[in-house]
Amino acid sequence: MNSLEDWQAFSDLVHKTMTKLGRFSEISLAESFFTNSESTEVTIRNSQIFTQNKRVDSGVGFRIAVPHNRVGFACTNIVNERTILEAAQQALGIAKASAELGNFCMPFKRKVPSVKGLCDPRIIEARVEDAVDVAERAINAAEGFDKRVIAKDGRVIFTSQRVGIENNQGVDLEEQRTEAVVYLGGGGEQEGEVTSSCYDIQFSRTIDLTPEAVGESAAQQVTQMFNPKPVKSFQGTVIFAPQAVSYQIVEVLIDALQGSNVLSGKSAWSDKAGQNVAQDSLTLIDDASLPHGVGARSFDDEGSASQKTMIVDKGNLQSFLHNATSAEAMGSENTGNASRSIQGFDLADMIIGQGYRTTPAIAPANLTVHPGNKSQEEFISETSKGVLVTSMAGFPQAGSGMISAQLSQAFFIEGGEVKHPMKGGMISGVVFDWLQTISGIGDDPKQFQNCTVPSIRVEDAKIVGASRG
Amino acid sequence: MSLIGETLERCLEAETAEDADLIMLRGQSRTLTVCEVKNGKVERFSRVNLGGIGVRVLMDNKSWGFCSTNSFDFESIETALKNAIALGKATSKPNRKQISLEHSKATVAKVKAPLKKKPDLEAQEIVQIPQQACDGARGAGANIADVKATYLCIEDDRNFLSSEGAKIQQESTRIMLFIDVVAKQSGLLCPASENLGHTGGLELFDEAPPQTFGREVGIKALDLLKARPPPSGKFPVIIHPTLCATLLHEAIGHPLEADLAMSGGGFGNRVGEQVSSRLVTIYDSGLVPRGLGYFPYDDEGVECKRTDLITQGILKSFMHDRTSAATAKTAPTGNAHAWDYSVEPLIRQTNIGLKAGDFSEEEMVEDIKEGLYLEGTFGGQADSNADFTFGFQNARWIRNGKLMETLRGANVAGNAIEVFKTVDAIGKHAVLRPGACGKFQFAVQGRIAPLIRCEIMVGGMGG
Repeated sequence: MNSLEDWQAFSDLVHKTMTKLGRFSEISLAESFFTNSESTEVTIRNSQIFTQNKRVDSGVGFRIAVPHNRVGFACTNIVNERTILEAAQQALGIAKASAELGNFCMPFKRKVPSVKGLCDPRIIEARVEDAVDVAERAINAAEGFDKRVIAKDGRVIFTSQRVGIENNQGVDLEEQRTEAVVYLGGGGEQEGEVTSSCYDIQFSRTIDLTPEAVGESAAQQVTQMFNPKPVKSFQGTVIFAPQAVSYQIVEVLIDALQGSNVLSGKSAWSDKAGQNVAQDSLTLIDDASLPHGVGARSFDDEGSASQKTMIVDKGNLQSFLHNATSAEAMGSENTGNASRSIQGFDLADMIIGQGYRTTPAIAPANLTVHPGNKSQEEFISETSKGVLVTSMAGFPQAGSGMISAQLSQAFFIEGGEVKHPMKGGMISGVVFDWLQTISGIGDDPKQFQNCTVPSIRVEDAKIVGASRG
Repeated sequence: MSLIGETLERCLEAETAEDADLIMLRGQSRTLTVCEVKNGKVERFSRVNLGGIGVRVLMDNKSWGFCSTNSFDFESIETALKNAIALGKATSKPNRKQISLEHSKATVAKVKAPLKKKPDLEAQEIVQIPQQACDGARGAGANIADVKATYLCIEDDRNFLSSEGAKIQQESTRIMLFIDVVAKQSGLLCPASENLGHTGGLELFDEAPPQTFGREVGIKALDLLKARPPPSGKFPVIIHPTLCATLLHEAIGHPLEADLAMSGGGFGNRVGEQVSSRLVTIYDSGLVPRGLGYFPYDDEGVECKRTDLITQGILKSFMHDRTSAATAKTAPTGNAHAWDYSVEPLIRQTNIGLKAGDFSEEEMVEDIKEGLYLEGTFGGQADSNADFTFGFQNARWIRNGKLMETLRGANVAGNAIEVFKTVDAIGKHAVLRPGACGKFQFAVQGRIAPLIRCEIMVGGMGG
């Protein structure tokens, strides 16, 4: 279904089904979310391109509510008039068997911004050879940087997607978006010692990737990991590089910010609205309407307008993230953060999948930490004893904000200098405590899939060393 | 042969098909039923109907191409085949190494995973399952702040056809129940969770009634409110099967997947060597009854038998797909699995197992002067150099050979090769556990794990 005509035919079928649903007097709310996507993916395995994939998929999911807010959902990717209507009827059947969800609602029609730069026709027209070229340039850059480096794994993915949403409260929206990603993971061996995997990744709404930079960065990280040494346990300064911030720390923040978690009391910030939650150097926004922004879109996954939301202003908690239902339940402004992408590592979500296959949860579009004015080098030179954490492995604990992560890529700092990479070791602490000890925000923001974050320096963090004593 | 099977067969006979050295076609239909009850209310109740075709081709014996589509008609499948061929050709350059696959026998089979009670329930009856689990957890005490119970049923019909003559149809049903509980007291949040799951039907709940199951998890979360954080540093530990399952999967399983093993480091190039304690025997088998990774055949049509990975500490084999087996000049082991039709198979574990030993729990505890007993899992990660990390949910101090007070969860980390050298006792009973993995694409898997004793680094926040 690559062509516009095919999409229009699909869209018409969905609209026709919605019209039919309008005749069911027992339905109070009805919504269809439908997409068509096409992706080309090149996989790198051990210095070579291993395989090329192309995936074409389309489908529609119906959320239907009957009086007393009983809600059901069903979807199908088998696209014809009969199967689409069957899915809608299944959703209705399920709704009747469900229990009342107090504040369930769907957004009303509202003007949405037209966010520029979300679709690059060059991605839609790209051939597999273009993706292969990007992959080869990344491999060559990595292995050309230092002959001890192996491009162990990597991906180049070009995706184009059309999204449509219609509900019976007047929302009727469509948008086309594209994305390009290059990822390269490298490793290296020296005197029998194998480094952990080091990677770099680049996301873009346009086809203009710089695979050379990605390959070189991964390789440079590998060469920095040679001759690691264990250290003894200590408390000290920790500089989290953007990559380390982007994963576990951002994960903990999202968990605390989701309106649904605030409502159920599962968020550590449930009773912190308007209060200080971090040092005043921390300012956090979510910008879903950034032109050309990765993660940006004109409307969220239930059709609410995209906006820029101030979340933490100079250390003060200003807003949570909401979809229509959580905003209604809390009497807050809907921040337009309904998302049908997979969040974290929820088993059921992973099994169901994303997009039209699932119901909207809450997620940031592009969580952004305002950059500071110090470089990572300045942070290092000011550190008497500490660790630079480029990458850490392991899942944070939902709710409590506890992190006890393996230092998969970290460097020991003493007397203002990096002494050596660390062998083994963990870092242990609570993100919310760290936010109160922030002693600097870096000037080096980096874009990831759902966030843009710089380095963050904290004090008195607990490092668990692999060296005894 | 089903209708999908017939269409796929027609596709193999199409003129376009002649351009490829090997064609593997997978047609699948899948139905998912999900019912999630949160704090007593049905928060999500979904029915997901999916289907489609995945076409994989080997071009010039050098390069793979893969294309998937959600359409079942002949024209769409033929277009997918053309696309796959073009994709495969994109890197089949003259200087590229040959992939010399061993010829596969033309298996013709129709298999159905055993099932006692069909999950053909009315919507109202489905709701009862997570509802009861949720009630059980909420009934455990007043400090239960949040409970989410999720019932999941996956029904699959998979067809595999290849240009080598294979025609395999596999049907299966998988039932799961997940429960996540958070206990809360004066600002302290303590999570606990547990999963049930098997390949089979609703008989899963005969042995583990949802209400009892929920209550047990609720009690665990409440106990943690009174517990102190665990210490940090290296300790002798006893690892409960719930956590040993994760240790097996992350620490040993991942580095023994040939794609990771052959990227250098870890267990790479060490077949035939002593890599761990002599007490350790590890295997992977797609034929473990009720295992979530129960697959008689993999997604390249290879039979999934038992593969001995480590026998009495000696590394015997990696887990292979046909490509890695050809590179290593060995036979494929049936470990090529794709989450669904839409993605290309990867090297995955099916049901990984650690053979039981002859220690009782008491015997394992009494030898430890100061150590920890670790239980419950929070998922983890592994690197190809055999470094791993994963979380435990709760622990007990062991002092002078006795189990003492309960401690909260944290993560452990280490290198699998180093940690498995320190295994000095394995429990008498191995338990089948449900598992899942997110290596590029999702997978459900089984794990067969006993109690084990070893040394490991704990990243706790206590003293």
